[in-house]
Amino acid sequence: MNRPLYINAAAVLNAAGSECADLLGTPPVPQPLTFDLQRKALALPVPRLASDLFDRKIQRSVEPQGLRLLHCAARLAPALAALQLPAARIALTAAIPEVDAPSPCWDAVQAILEQPHKQLSQLLANTPPLHALTLLNSSVMAYVAEALNCHGPMGGFCSQDNAGLDALIEACQQIAERHADAALVVSSSPNLTPALYLREPDLADEPVYGEGAAALLLSSKPLQDATQVLRVAGFARGYSADPQRTLAVGKRVIERALSKEKLCVGDVANLVANPADRQLMSLFESTPQCLRSVSAMTGELGASGLLTEVAMTLHHSREAGAVPGYTLLVSHGRAGHWGALLLASENLEKYA
Amino acid sequence: MSATRIVITGMGAVTGFGFEWQTLWEKMLGAEHCVRPWQPQDLQDNEFPVRYAAPVDMTLLPGHLQNHPAWTLPLEKRSRFGWVAASQAVADSGLNPGQLREAAVLCASGAPQHMLADMLLTQAPDGAAPDWQHLMARAAEVSAEGSLRQANDRLARVIADDLGCEGPVINISSACAGASQAIGNAFRMIRRGEVDVAVAGGADSVLNLDTMAALYLLGAASGEQRWGADLCRPFDRDRSGLIAGEGGGFVVLESLEHALARGATPYAEVLGYGSSLDAYKVTAPQPEGRGAALAMQAALDDAGLQPQQIDLINAHGTSTPLNDVAETLAIKQVFGRHKHFQTLAVSANKSQFGHLIAAAGAPECIVTALACLNDLVTPTVNLHEADERCDLDYCAGQAVSRRVDYALSNSFGFGGLNTSLALGKYREHGQ
Repeated sequence: MNRPLYINAAAVLNAAGSECADLLGTPPVPQPLTFDLQRKALALPVPRLASDLFDRKIQRSVEPQGLRLLHCAARLAPALAALQLPAARIALTAAIPEVDAPSPCWDAVQAILEQPHKQLSQLLANTPPLHALTLLNSSVMAYVAEALNCHGPMGGFCSQDNAGLDALIEACQQIAERHADAALVVSSSPNLTPALYLREPDLADEPVYGEGAAALLLSSKPLQDATQVLRVAGFARGYSADPQRTLAVGKRVIERALSKEKLCVGDVANLVANPADRQLMSLFESTPQCLRSVSAMTGELGASGLLTEVAMTLHHSREAGAVPGYTLLVSHGRAGHWGALLLASENLEKYA
Repeated sequence: MSATRIVITGMGAVTGFGFEWQTLWEKMLGAEHCVRPWQPQDLQDNEFPVRYAAPVDMTLLPGHLQNHPAWTLPLEKRSRFGWVAASQAVADSGLNPGQLREAAVLCASGAPQHMLADMLLTQAPDGAAPDWQHLMARAAEVSAEGSLRQANDRLARVIADDLGCEGPVINISSACAGASQAIGNAFRMIRRGEVDVAVAGGADSVLNLDTMAALYLLGAASGEQRWGADLCRPFDRDRSGLIAGEGGGFVVLESLEHALARGATPYAEVLGYGSSLDAYKVTAPQPEGRGAALAMQAALDDAGLQPQQIDLINAHGTSTPLNDVAETLAIKQVFGRHKHFQTLAVSANKSQFGHLIAAAGAPECIVTALACLNDLVTPTVNLHEADERCDLDYCAGQAVSRRVDYALSNSFGFGGLNTSLALGKYREHGQ
């Protein structure tokens, strides 16, 4: 990277609350799902969007997962505006969850059930035109771009748990390679629907899923009055679904994320990782880092999990008495994706 | 930018023309198209308002692909096409498994296929309102090939698992710009040294009742019947909307150093990538083509090219009333100096194999690479009388023989997500 990259602002929304400080409280209790009482999860009510930024019809036509993403993005609007950048210099990257499934077009389903011999006419009569936009899940990117006036480079990602890292890396590269001067990185977890459970029916240790969203604002410059900064210092990603190979891939990903700063694992002060992932934790058995994770507070957030952890790292870096140092965030999805992100919390004097 | 050069060394395409890029190229140069009468499988009567599409014709499946595992594993249709296209691209490249171990896989695969039969499992036995609870109770009946069982990154993972790739495996979601974003992201990953090899592209099929109904109701898909199967008419005054195709396309990208070290012969060089956002309306492109122009300019800047060096633009050219005018205006903005827009060739592939939606940019990138390789430009077919606001050289009707040193391939996604790839003729000693 040939340009420093700073995480300047963050917004979160999850079962613990809408502020990072909420993630330090008592874990919320998972509740039974309405469609499967045997399973528990951390669901969220649908958020209300700021009417000064978004058209009211968006509130009605966008799925809950999209509304959560928009809710977080909107809260970064003041910080983005304060940068006073031309719209073409602002990038937008997104970790977009899977489209809600089954189809959210319930009026059409009900109508077809009532008159199955009139399937087509019921489908056409009861499908709202904007239903197409829910099929094209990247439409939420268009709403963010329009509301926050982003005309610059874009990238949409949908690689399960690793999509947040994919979106963050793309934003970093756009800034580092001078295609943009700032970037919004937005993400949302999937809605709690049957698809979330039916896609991996044989999972031995099914997690407690949660609904949530997170958004970050990255820039090539730190905030104007900042005394501490959070800098993106390295990243890497890889994949293996082969049980014989996955640890080697994970190890390689971690080493690559540390390599730019010429670090080894022992140099990292804080580790952010899922403590329940035994494979992942086996890579850190002999290292004494402070281990953090907010997953018990939020449930498993899929595409927005990593960005929520980044937001929390930013929060910690700004706490009174925060000690400068490196934080390594490592993610390992059940599908086989590995990701590692190295963040450096630093005193600003270093760059003055 | 670094001096790393990135080349295309393998290509695979599955379209309505068949299962090999060679067939696609031959048919396109012959000014053929593969649009034909179509109706959703789920309907008995011939009553669906969209009457034409460019579906993949399984009777064209060549013998050597008949035993491909894509046809037997439980997968969505888009994933089958994509996997076969990716396998073809890798075979075409001559890479062996050891050379693929650290490769990246980047893939755009569009929207999942909702199965109406799955949705109807929500029906309550007592006639009460449909509910997911009933569906969960009948989970064993849920189709293995629909959206409830298939994660959106399934195609990317199935390719990576098959090839043994352990680099980043990335699923892209940026509507009709998806495959172009996948190729552009892969290009940049190689350029900055994250990987040496990437398999990038996309696959999609919207030829199902649910998705096509939505596209029709949104006014994007054409229900026109006046022109029969010739209704995909980019830039024509009688264009009436997109004609959906299906299939997939993948390219193998490598650093030139890596390609030459193993004795590969590049088809073309990828020189730059640009993207942008319209930030206008989710349902329409910005009317002056602002976002499209930004993406093309960004691709040129990234490639270090001047506009007047471009010989060909492989247009997004959807045959929709709004896109084709906005794209023409964007081309005029970017190529306005010395009125270069009057001399460059513009070609719209969707008139020949339909709109592959999330995958569209992949076969179009392949066709652009072949234009650079062969100095041949495929035609925009069914363009008989251009819209008066569409006044460029669209290569109407027949292929054109002209020198193509540099070309852009445009893909603009629904909601104003824009991409442009800059390609060039491969030269041993650089551009």
